[in-house]
Amino acid sequence: MERIHSLYLHVPFCTWVCKYCDFNAYAVLQGLIPPYVEVLTREIEIAGTELPTGPFDTVFIGGGTPSLLTGGQLRQVLDRVRAIGLPSGAEVTLEANPSNITEENVESWLAAGVSRLSIGVQSLQPDALRFLERLHSGTDAISAIRTARSGGFANISADLLFGVPGVNLAAWLETLDSVLAEGVQHLSAYELTVESGTRLGQEVRTGLVQMPGADDQLEQYWAAAARLEAAGYAHYEISNWAQPGYACRHNLAAWNYKPYLGAGAGAHSMFRLDDGSTERRWNVKGPHAYIKQVSGAGHAPDGSETLSPERARGEAAMIGVRLLNGTRAAGNFPTERKQLVRAGLLIETDGQVRLTRRGVELANQVGAAFLV
Amino acid sequence: MSTPTRLTRAISVIAHVDHGKTTLSDRLLEYTGTVAPRDMVEQVLDQLDLERERGITIKAQAVRMLYKADDGNTYQINLIDTPGHVDFSYEVSRALAACDGAILVVDASQGIEAQTLANVHQALDHHLKIIPVVNKIDLPQANPELVREEIEKVIGLPAESVIFASARQGIGTKEILEAVVREVPPPTGDPDAPLQALVFDAKFDAYRGVVTYIRVLEGTLRKGMRIEMMQTGKSFEVDEVGIFRPERTAVEDLSAGEVGYLIANIRNVRDSRVGDTVTDEARPAAAPLPGYRHVTPMVFAGLFPTDTEQYQQLKEALEKLQLNDAALVYEPETSAALGFGFRCGFLGLLHMEIVQERLEREFNLTLLGTAPTVEYRVKLRSGEEIPVDNPDLLPNAAEVDAISEPMVIATIVVPSTYVGNMMELSQERRGQFLNMQYEPGDRVVITYRMPLAEIIHDYYDQLKSRSKGYASLDYELVGFEVADLVKLDVLVAGSPVDALSMIVDRSKAQQQGRRLAEKLKTLIPRQLFEVPIQAAIGGKIVARETVPAMRKDVTAKCYGGDITRKRKLLEKQKEGKKRLKRVGNVEIPQEAFMAVLSLD
Repeated sequence: MERIHSLYLHVPFCTWVCKYCDFNAYAVLQGLIPPYVEVLTREIEIAGTELPTGPFDTVFIGGGTPSLLTGGQLRQVLDRVRAIGLPSGAEVTLEANPSNITEENVESWLAAGVSRLSIGVQSLQPDALRFLERLHSGTDAISAIRTARSGGFANISADLLFGVPGVNLAAWLETLDSVLAEGVQHLSAYELTVESGTRLGQEVRTGLVQMPGADDQLEQYWAAAARLEAAGYAHYEISNWAQPGYACRHNLAAWNYKPYLGAGAGAHSMFRLDDGSTERRWNVKGPHAYIKQVSGAGHAPDGSETLSPERARGEAAMIGVRLLNGTRAAGNFPTERKQLVRAGLLIETDGQVRLTRRGVELANQVGAAFLV
Repeated sequence: MSTPTRLTRAISVIAHVDHGKTTLSDRLLEYTGTVAPRDMVEQVLDQLDLERERGITIKAQAVRMLYKADDGNTYQINLIDTPGHVDFSYEVSRALAACDGAILVVDASQGIEAQTLANVHQALDHHLKIIPVVNKIDLPQANPELVREEIEKVIGLPAESVIFASARQGIGTKEILEAVVREVPPPTGDPDAPLQALVFDAKFDAYRGVVTYIRVLEGTLRKGMRIEMMQTGKSFEVDEVGIFRPERTAVEDLSAGEVGYLIANIRNVRDSRVGDTVTDEARPAAAPLPGYRHVTPMVFAGLFPTDTEQYQQLKEALEKLQLNDAALVYEPETSAALGFGFRCGFLGLLHMEIVQERLEREFNLTLLGTAPTVEYRVKLRSGEEIPVDNPDLLPNAAEVDAISEPMVIATIVVPSTYVGNMMELSQERRGQFLNMQYEPGDRVVITYRMPLAEIIHDYYDQLKSRSKGYASLDYELVGFEVADLVKLDVLVAGSPVDALSMIVDRSKAQQQGRRLAEKLKTLIPRQLFEVPIQAAIGGKIVARETVPAMRKDVTAKCYGGDITRKRKLLEKQKEGKKRLKRVGNVEIPQEAFMAVLSLD
């Protein structure tokens, strides 16, 4: 099995679960945080002894809202990771809600070993924030970025959403410009996606909410891409931009088909086996069940699948083409590659392929072509 | 156990579809103890999964029951269950030829329907004694008295002979059985005469070969006998004779009047033709029994495997299916758009649907069916006349002198409120009004002469929807008539798609072309590029629509935890595409090929 240098930690708690959110997140379970941190630490410890892990080059603490953890709790978790191996140059990202970014927290997160903050700004428009059920204001978000920066974070990313009903192109670019003006090193811009199991999904189904059309969504997307590029951010993945040297190493590893260990409720792991096959495993989703199972057996598996080397290559290509600088992952699919080039979705240079503009808009069609 | 001929009866149950024929058969089996209540499943006689699921009977089935009547005698009653749907009337006709009597079931709330009349006419043609039963009298909307009156007025059976029943609740079962033994005549055959047995169905059993369903009319059929099929002249040695109880049960012999089966190591179903007469090779009958009305397919369509590699499998599947569906005919067809497949002939739309479903289910195939069409007769300028059952093969207009199309007499039975709607619909469909007759119970029987092609294009569904489901339909082929018809072609992305061609009435062609193009636009999914759809008559474009290119298909987030889900989603999308047929570089779904069926 290929050695694992990436670690994902899931913290499924939120003060409020926004209506569009499809992640494994739970509100009003905050009393569970202390026991959860205990068993999360235990799961990391056990996995560290059973699997070829570490030293970790990247750690990503996602959620949920992991910024609900106290500095002490974060330290407890990261100390356990450090025991397996966490060199000083490692990228340690914490997803943070603007409401939790205070001077004290920033100081304690840095002290615990967090090196990168990914801030869920989403929007600065009051109407959009209300629609998205975010509990912070635009001003809160901007001052959160400033607090993080002045507190010592030199690697800050902001998450934004476009294609929000009621937000036109000008308003969206206004949000984007204001965030860029704060000098963030990294930016993720996601199209607001309607997931069927969410309250937003229900509202769209019943006609209560009408989503913008594909043309409007793409207009906002490409306008943002142009702004970002002009401001010196490289468009390195479909929804991600970074200043030179600030691409997210953790996500790049996954997109380059490197193995990772996931710990926490509902977390996914990916292992690369010696014969070229891929194993994916995932934990039980519910925090109660997760705590119970890890306290008992030390594991909380919910399911797994193993992809044959052939299918694994297809999956690697499906993910790899999303990297806009190009990928070699589609090397095993000459026929598909040729068809996609002819259809104007891919460009091929020096054995690498990358998506054309049209290819980006139809990236799923391209990805599906490689699946066996 | 042998029953004297005077205590033997052979009956059939006939009814309009849904009037409770099969449920009544179930009750008779239960009441006579033929099937123990614990073995009772609904629709005992419907053996195909498809029959149980759809709640319809497709194949005729035979069963022997023993009934101890009030007169103290134990009677042997042979029951043949028949399909009710118009498409399967040939099955009814075969079954009736093997009977002496028929139980006519009429729904107490629906009354007499078109198919009821057709069945009664068939039964009378076979000189059967009819026992009228009004079923479902327990339903709140039932009006048994009115239906009884209707039976007397419309069919001419005395009202006092009508039995009230509820097959669901078992009401009237005994009365029906008593009427059968009292009213239906015993067979007149002589067990000692030279053997004459009528073949009324055949099935293929993988282990035993052909199982031939027969009714012995004269003489006695024994195990070990050498028999001769009088039409084909082929002879076989009988391995087994038996009866249906309802599963196959071997017996020593079958004598005049009895219904059962024979197995004689017949490997080819063509050697056991339905309608043929089985006789004793050593002491043959002087003449065969009269056969059946020959079954002719009325509706034709192409069946193509979506995966071209399944062609051979489809061929074998059709061969096997034809063994117990004699009405199915097929021959190889090559389509420029769809590749290799078969042109198949069916009795009607339901038959077509059932054949496709059985092929897909029982043989694990994925098929694409083209829109059904009728068979035209085309007179060429050269004087030659050719049949055309595939619109794409219609010769050039320059070579054609005249095109004739099959005509039917359509009988519609409907409550008087909907008469206007029915007439409007039939006139839109080129119908010529023939007759209208008011019957008791607010029923009107309307007859039209109209092209069969109009009936197969959504007529029945329209009839139902414009009468709130009350209208019923039966039709009978009455010959061919010259009409002014043209071929309508469809081009997708600039290339003609032969499987989408249709033959239409000239006066409606342009309008049909426009509707077809509009409909196809909604059915052909967006592709990576823009797809123009054109309709053309004789090379002249009469309509054009465009399927815009796919605009956007991209997932915003694809992180470690999303990958499995995303991959499964894309895999499913890809799997769905396998159901589409690639024509040139456009992927066309099955529904598009059926679009011509509902252009209203």
